[in-house]
This record gives sequence, C-alpha cells and structure tokens, in this order.
Amino acid sequence: MAILLDENTKVIVQGITGKQGTFHAKSMIDYGTKVVAGVTPGKGGQEHLGVPVFDSMKEAVEATQATASVIFIPARFAYGAALEAIDAGIKLMTVITEGVPVKDTARIRQRALENDVLMVGPNCPGLITPEASKIGIIPGEICHKGEVGIVSRSGTLTYEIIQNLSINGFGQSTCVGLGGDPIKGIGFNECLRWFEDDPQTKSIVLVGEIGGTGEQEAADLVKADISKPVFGFIAGQTAPPGKQMGHAGAIVHGKSGTAKEKMRILSEAGITTVRTPGEIAGKMKEIM
Amino acid sequence: MPMLYEIEGKQLFKENGIPVPKFKAYTGKESIQAFVEELGSDVFMAKAQALSGGRGKAGLIKKVTSSEAEEYIQSILGRDHRGKPVELVMLEQPVEITNEFYLSVLLDNESGQYLVLASPRGGVDIEEVAEKYPDEIFRQHFSVYVDALPYMFIDLGKKLGFETHTLTSFTNIMTNMFKMAQNKDLTLIEINPLILTKDNQIIAADSKVVIDANAYYRHPDIANLKSQIDRLTDLEYEAEQAGISYVQLDGDIGIISGGAGLSMATCDLLQFFGSSPANFLDVGGGADETKIEKSLEMLSTHDVKGIFVNFFAGITRCDDVANGIINASKKFEIKVPMVIRLVGTNDEEGIQILEKNGINAYNKMEPAAKRIVELVKGGN
Repeated sequence: MAILLDENTKVIVQGITGKQGTFHAKSMIDYGTKVVAGVTPGKGGQEHLGVPVFDSMKEAVEATQATASVIFIPARFAYGAALEAIDAGIKLMTVITEGVPVKDTARIRQRALENDVLMVGPNCPGLITPEASKIGIIPGEICHKGEVGIVSRSGTLTYEIIQNLSINGFGQSTCVGLGGDPIKGIGFNECLRWFEDDPQTKSIVLVGEIGGTGEQEAADLVKADISKPVFGFIAGQTAPPGKQMGHAGAIVHGKSGTAKEKMRILSEAGITTVRTPGEIAGKMKEIM
Repeated sequence: MPMLYEIEGKQLFKENGIPVPKFKAYTGKESIQAFVEELGSDVFMAKAQALSGGRGKAGLIKKVTSSEAEEYIQSILGRDHRGKPVELVMLEQPVEITNEFYLSVLLDNESGQYLVLASPRGGVDIEEVAEKYPDEIFRQHFSVYVDALPYMFIDLGKKLGFETHTLTSFTNIMTNMFKMAQNKDLTLIEINPLILTKDNQIIAADSKVVIDANAYYRHPDIANLKSQIDRLTDLEYEAEQAGISYVQLDGDIGIISGGAGLSMATCDLLQFFGSSPANFLDVGGGADETKIEKSLEMLSTHDVKGIFVNFFAGITRCDDVANGIINASKKFEIKVPMVIRLVGTNDEEGIQILEKNGINAYNKMEPAAKRIVELVKGGN
C-alpha cells in the first residue's frame, strides 16, 4: 500500500530538459518511477531520456493521463509552472525548487486547495515509496521497503534518518519531505492521518525543526487520533532564539517555537522523542 | 527575514499613500538648519536608525531643539546598538497625539493568507496587549488573491472607533497598506503607533517593514537599500556572495555541512557530546569544490578550535567535497583538528581521494562528532 504514490503513479517532470531536471528525472526513471512525460515550453515533440517532451502540461496530461508532476523550475518561474500543473488537472504536485517568493507559494497553495490538488513543497526533497517509486531527489539507495512512515521538514537530515533506520533493519513504507519554507503545501497532519490509515505502515517518524507551529498541531492530532507509535526528533536544539538557521521556516518565535518546547509538547502527546537522529532505531527496537 | 530601517519604511509609506510626519535623513554632514526652516518648528524627534528593537530604552530616540540636535546626534552616531554601530539618524516632525492605534498586515504562515491585525491600544508592546486585552485585538483574514478595496475595512475602522471622515482616511490607508504588502512582497508591515492627531489626521508614527528576500529580484530598489546591506555581518556577506549560508554561534567547533536540517542536527550533536558549535556554514544542495574550499578558507581565518565537515550527499557529490578539502589544504594550512564525515552520492570516490592524501573520513555522523569533540578537548 504505502501513501501518496506507488509503482503505478504516472509522473510528469516539469523542466525535464534543464540540468537539475535531467539529472533527477534520470534518477527517478532508474529507480522505477513511471515518468511518462516531460514538459519544457518550446521543446515539444522531442524525446529526452527516452521520454516524450511536450510544450505544455495540458498536452502532456491529455496524452499520458498522468496524475502527478514534479517541478524542477527556477524560483522565478515556479509560480507559473505550478498553476499550469493545477489547471491541467494534476492531483499530486511536488515543488522541489528552492527560493520561491513566499507570496507565490501562498497563491499556489490556495489554488491547490481550491482544486483538491495535493501540493508537496516547495524547497523540499520530495517523496519516496521504497522499491516502488520516487518523486524528487531523495537518494533511492538508502531506502528499504518496510513499515515505517517518515514525515519530515528537512532534506539531508531525513536522508540521515532513513539510512540509519535502513541499516538497523527498519524499512520504510513512504518517506515525505514537506520542505523548509514558512508556507508550504501538505503538512505533518495530513501525512499522519494517511499513515494511520495505511495498513503497511506500523509506526511513524516525525522530524521537525525550530520555528512555526506544525509540530504542536501534530502533537494534538497524535494525542487525539493516531493509534500507531510515533517517534519524534526536532533539529535546532542549540539554536539561539531569533537566529535564522538557513531555512526561512526555522526562526524561533518566542518560546513556543524552540526545539526544547517542541520536544516537550511531543512527549506530552505520547510521542517517543529522541535527542539524536541515531537514537530512533534503538527506541524503535525497544517498542516495536 | 530582512527588515528595513524605519526611515526606509516611511519613505515607502510616503510613496504609497500612507501619511507620515515630515522627516529627513542625517548622517552627520547635512544641515540641520535647513530642516528647521522647512518645518517651521524648532523642536523635532531625533531617532537613531537600527535593525534591532529597544532604541527608546537605549536612549537612541530623543525629542530635541535645533540647538541641542547637533550635539545629541553626534553623541549617538557610531554608538553600538546590539552589535551594530549607529550610522544614520532620522529627524522627524513631532506630532500631537489624540489617540494611538496598532495596525499591521502580514502574510500569515499558519493560514497561508494575509492577516490584518488592529487594536485601539497602540503605542505599547502589542504582545502585552494580546495577553491583557485579547478582545481588543481585531483580526481579519484575506485571500492572497484579494484585490483590496476600502469597503473591506469599514467594519474594522468602526471597531477602532473611527467615524465620518477619519473612517474614510482609515479605509484608504488600510487599502494602500494592503496593496503595498502585496505589490512589494512584504511579509510584514507594522505601524505602532498609528496616530490620530489633534486636527483629525491619521499618521504613521513608526514603521516596521519586512521584505521576502526570495523576492529581491522583483524589487531591486528595496534590495539595494542600506538596511539590506547592513543586516549582514562582513562574514555573512562574504558567505552570501559565495552562495553559502553562514550562521555565527558562540562555541568551539566550526561546521561545514549541506542542508539546514542536517547542519542544525550537527550543532545539536556536538552539544550532546559535550562541546558546542562556533558557527556553521551550510553550503546547500549541489555544492561544488570551490564552495567547500571557500568554507574552509573562511573557517581557517577564524578563531575555531576544530572543524567538522559533515555531508550526507544527495545532490552534492562526495568527490567534489573531497577535492575541495584537498585543494584547500594545498593552499593554506589548517591549524586545528579536522574530522570529516562523508556519505551519499559518490562517497567511495570521495573517501579514496582523501585517503590518497592521508586523510581519513568517517561514514557515520555520531562517531565522527564524538571524535572531533575529543580532539578539541585535547584527547588523542
């Protein structure tokens, strides 16, 4: 089962002929993702990486019936690319692009909500259902198929955690990188609910950061509605208040956004919290 | 998120139909007399321009007469305010206050919409108002696509107590403020206080404006303002020019890493093992040799007791990281202990390159972090 994507999900790569688009589209195809088309305006009719290229999302969707798209488009054009995907009827849209103006993101998000489109990102590594399919840039070789659902606000830190779990015999059902921007598409709570309903997923790992209130809301949901064991880690325990640590989202606003406070709230909600990423597997062995 | 100086915010207000008192920038060379003549008044406010709050308490805002002005301004120019010297002073016409209000427009992270906050209790710390008088802060959400028009703010104006022609002024100001937030990619415009004067004028007596740095390319006029250059330290500026995110902390070990989450987790881990990060350089995804070399160069000229290079390469390639380290070590001496952890894309090649040059690398983060802490603490 897994969530959001499986081996049958048809994916269009927006920006497939660009440098990033080419590199990651190839890695997605090698992993087994059903990449059915690419879109680059002005390059319609060509073939790239063995995949047909279209001028527009509308043409690509009509020709392939794809339901998912992934955006490797420079930040200043990401807004147009995302709206094009929504208008073409895409249902799962992943925006990898970093540096999208936050007003653009807010507008994309609103259109996505109005049209029942699931938006992942921006500024995210994407998602992977191990040994079936991946959308985005998560390195496939570190993932093993299994029963742990992972949802994270970070990129490279997620790889760290995935690899650690894999080495210790805990495979994953699906891993979702939500992205580090202050305004984004889907959040912790959507993923927690899907993992709760997914029969393959037996436990959930939540990776948060300082700043924002997503973790607090997740804690409330876990307390009320999630029956599966949840493990939590928050990055930025040593971050001084008010320092921007790279992600726009990771700014501490008062006490509620600090790592310490978030860890406390997660613990109170019954989530098993760990102090280092490497501790998750150990705790999982104790509990599972 | 990058803030503007009050005077820059007020200049934007002026250009966008939000009334402000008459003001003038002063850097220590201009004539104060000309401003006195323009105002027709001998008394005005002198306000040091700073990006950190607490100016009033620090004595950096004062009501002065023209004869006192020169001496006062010279006394605050160059004075340190939370790590930054004062270089600019705003002279401003004083306003006679009947009532003070709080007003802000922000792009709200939680709802993903614009949020207008307003209160009749202005001129004080708004967080305190929120705590003591929660019923006196009014909130109104707006779609990010909304075309703001004055009628949308009539209810809000009435709640604040505006009526007849002050109500019209308020709804116009509110509309202009809202459009300005949208058009200029501002994530926050805060006016505290917004003032109703004796002669029923509504005036913004302060400005706090925050711009989205991702949207700099649309607003070169704002991107090039003094505040946007001053907000970075020299090192932060040097790093930003090289595409590196530099964060200054106050511990012992310098960190070079890729990705904000992993960088932060690396800082946490050093603390967990009993040391602390001096800073971190996040080279982001897809860093090349030169970024790694540059990062090491920045750390080598810096007072760190050890260096920890920690990469889980996705887009980045470990052979690039390794080559960057080798290039750096050929150009300058790295005088402090260094521990390298490399894993991910092309890690075998990367580790080979390092080993050929007599450098060992770890493939797991925790033992590597433990090792650098031991070395810095004088172990072997």
